[in-house]
Amino acid sequence: MEINYQEIGFKCGLEIHQQLDGKKLFCNCPTLNSDKEADIKIERKLKAVAGEKGEIDIAAQHEMVKDKLFIYESNSQDTCLVEYDEEPPHELNKNSLETALKVALLLNAKIIDEIQIMRKTVIDGSNVSGFQRTALIAMDGFVETPQGKVSIQTIYLEEESAQKLEDGTDFVRYKLDRLGIPLIEIATGTEIKNSEHAREVAAYIGMVLRSVEGVKRGLGTIRQDVNISITDGARTEIKGFQDLRSIPKVIEHEVKRQIDSIDKGKKLQKEVRKAEQDFSSSFLRPMPGAHRLYPETDVLPANVPKKYLEELKKKLPKLLSHKTEEFERKYGLPNQMAKEIIAYDNFELLVKTFSKIDPFTIANTLVNIPKEIKTRFNMDSSKLTQKDFEEILSYLNEGKISKEAILDLLIKKIKNEKIDLTHFESVSDEELENEIKKIISEKPNLNIGAYMGLVMSKHRGKVDGKKIMEILKRYAK
Amino acid sequence: MIPELGDVVKVIAKDGVYEGILMPRPEILEKGYTVIKLDNGYNVGIEDSKIEKIELISKHKKLDPIKYRKAEHKKSLLTVSILSFGGTISSKIDYKTGGTYADYTAEDFIQMLPELENVANLRAEKVMGLMSEDLAPEDWQMMAKRIAKELNDEEVSGVVVTQGTDTLHFSTAAMSFFLKNLNKPVVFTAAQRSIDRGSSDAFFNLLCAVNAAAKFDGAAVVTCMHGTSDDKYCILNRGTKVRKMHTSRRDAFRPINELPLAKINEDGKIEILNNNYEKRNENKVSIHDKFESKTALIYVYPGIDADIFDIYIKKKYRGLVIAGTGLGHVPTFNPKHTLIKKLKELIDNGILVVIAPQAIYGRVHPYVYTNLRKLSIGLNCIFVEDMLPEVAYVKLGWVLGHGDKMEEVKKMMITNYAHEINERSDEKNFLY
Repeated sequence: MEINYQEIGFKCGLEIHQQLDGKKLFCNCPTLNSDKEADIKIERKLKAVAGEKGEIDIAAQHEMVKDKLFIYESNSQDTCLVEYDEEPPHELNKNSLETALKVALLLNAKIIDEIQIMRKTVIDGSNVSGFQRTALIAMDGFVETPQGKVSIQTIYLEEESAQKLEDGTDFVRYKLDRLGIPLIEIATGTEIKNSEHAREVAAYIGMVLRSVEGVKRGLGTIRQDVNISITDGARTEIKGFQDLRSIPKVIEHEVKRQIDSIDKGKKLQKEVRKAEQDFSSSFLRPMPGAHRLYPETDVLPANVPKKYLEELKKKLPKLLSHKTEEFERKYGLPNQMAKEIIAYDNFELLVKTFSKIDPFTIANTLVNIPKEIKTRFNMDSSKLTQKDFEEILSYLNEGKISKEAILDLLIKKIKNEKIDLTHFESVSDEELENEIKKIISEKPNLNIGAYMGLVMSKHRGKVDGKKIMEILKRYAK
Repeated sequence: MIPELGDVVKVIAKDGVYEGILMPRPEILEKGYTVIKLDNGYNVGIEDSKIEKIELISKHKKLDPIKYRKAEHKKSLLTVSILSFGGTISSKIDYKTGGTYADYTAEDFIQMLPELENVANLRAEKVMGLMSEDLAPEDWQMMAKRIAKELNDEEVSGVVVTQGTDTLHFSTAAMSFFLKNLNKPVVFTAAQRSIDRGSSDAFFNLLCAVNAAAKFDGAAVVTCMHGTSDDKYCILNRGTKVRKMHTSRRDAFRPINELPLAKINEDGKIEILNNNYEKRNENKVSIHDKFESKTALIYVYPGIDADIFDIYIKKKYRGLVIAGTGLGHVPTFNPKHTLIKKLKELIDNGILVVIAPQAIYGRVHPYVYTNLRKLSIGLNCIFVEDMLPEVAYVKLGWVLGHGDKMEEVKKMMITNYAHEINERSDEKNFLY
């Protein structure tokens, strides 16, 4: 079913969460995903408490009913009393704030004069304190994308939550090394036009983030949540995307789920859902209400003097998108491809690693071949992982396959089929020429198209068709 | 109309328009910003110099007070009184200063912890709303009166007292001396994390404290706070043998020089660890709450200037507790810093000098070193064994309040009234 996004009243916004490097936001612990063995174990319970207006939040109530025991584990070198909620927070980390402000400026946002740190009630145990410290640092920015301008409504600087290890029937186990890592949250407006546009916007914001020093890189350091609604549906927030490329799929699934429910006359609830491996999503919790924020009184507000901001503006890094031009020049890529390839972090590294492959082929493998697989073969190329690409490119680099084999091999990867390289062995020019001569001598007087068919039937996916034609033209009449 | 705090306003500034609720800003902070709570719940501070106009959108709506369900009296349950004296356990945010302030009444405790209804029939009263650091001996006197009234009520099985943590161990020491012929448990509890957060230790502490007040078989003033950082059990520590040993941890209250009297488990089960306490009885509690306000507690340190003691002579103090180094020393032979001459002057002026251990753990000793003998034999200072300096201060004020003659007062200082002195130093009593 093709989705007509305009007709269904599609509204979609993104929330992008990016971890920062350095020290934690409110203590001097390191920001790492630690592999040290836990030597601290704490067991706690949380209560739902009334908010500023005397009402208990609905999301909070939902969790309270569960009455769970929270078990926190960590290594004492990675965490301190602040994470255990046994010591008040230290001052707001100035380096994190500076990094976040740079990102905000690059997203054309208006910086808040005096930043107020808030407590956001979270009682699923992922914050030992029962709340997440968070601050609105900038508003009203925008990004330009090929499909149009998208507003950046809000930019927050906040604490990362603890990592869940185990969800038991009456307990939840968390690891605390991640708790308190500085996190930038960027929320876009709902101008996103369709599922593919959502991916583009996410990719662009990811590029801006990676342009700034102090931003963490690598798996798990950036997460995207998508907010979706359609006419007569209900706003859902989908969390836990593994990969940027899966955004369009997950959106399409959610839109179809909502359309289905509306058709069946079901009333949809505002809710938070979790993205699953197969791009569907499952219920996580009801959407939190509006009463979950109150001031963090243990930390002073941070004011951002004009003079400091002016200095910061002068120090802003060049956006990676300025690299488009550089890539065009350096790697001889066409403009469109250069534009698209800058979203791929690993491109330059791949060019370096696979020095025998020309950069265009690498860019083509990353950008265009997956698109072709999707449109021509109607297959889901977002299933392809970084590793899959690296594996196939390494075969090409070692001369084990020809570049014509890339598409077929990637398809095999999607289908999870075993790869037997003998079917894809490349044929040398000399071998090919001998073969063609042999065919012509065996079956003389055929037209050139017929010869082409014969050669291709044997070498499809191994040899460039153009090359066959070239040789045929020399030997056939 | 000029917008007031709590009103929904539109702030028109040079760089744009902000809409939200006008919020108070801690007065102590630098001026020049207006704080607005935006629709998304976040507060932002806008520089006043760029604000052109603040328009009123709608007036602040007063919220209906929350209606409390009246607790029903269950015949099967015992009755516990909760007396609230303020502190973090009963505090919420003060938007004027940004800090937390004492406001919750004892009824709020019942509202926020419905489990309590299955533990005991509750009576609750907010007596005062002071933070710990503001409590003074006059407040202890009022505290003793209110507690005694409850203890002498036949229906009441025990009393829970809530206050701030910082000086909790001063209050428990005071109550240990002030309340004579104690008949039931007086259980002090508090919180290290404010009650407006889901992780507050107040809930668990309060649950354990009500259990202890109802079921503990002792007639003793005790603290009931987390035993560890986990929400697993609380410990009951004797009011004269407990001290806040950490600024912020929830298990900050540790027994000093003895074991806790008991553990209170999550399910209310009481496990006795130290049986050395008086049992519940039918006594009528009387109050002995005179307190000599001209009593001081002084911490000795290298480089101390003897002249700082002059003020105590000038202001006609009657008693001084000196938290001495090690076994109870003060600078002795250092000509620049010796206190010996000055202490003699104090004593000659009728001031009683008491020596307590600055090391907190362990016992002072009057004779081990020559310098100690100068204090004990030479000057007749009173060495108070393993009594905590804070307890010695409270006791000295109380003793001076009730005795006149120096010899009588000296004797009272080393007489055990509330297990403030342990005769034995058990090996297991260090760093529990």
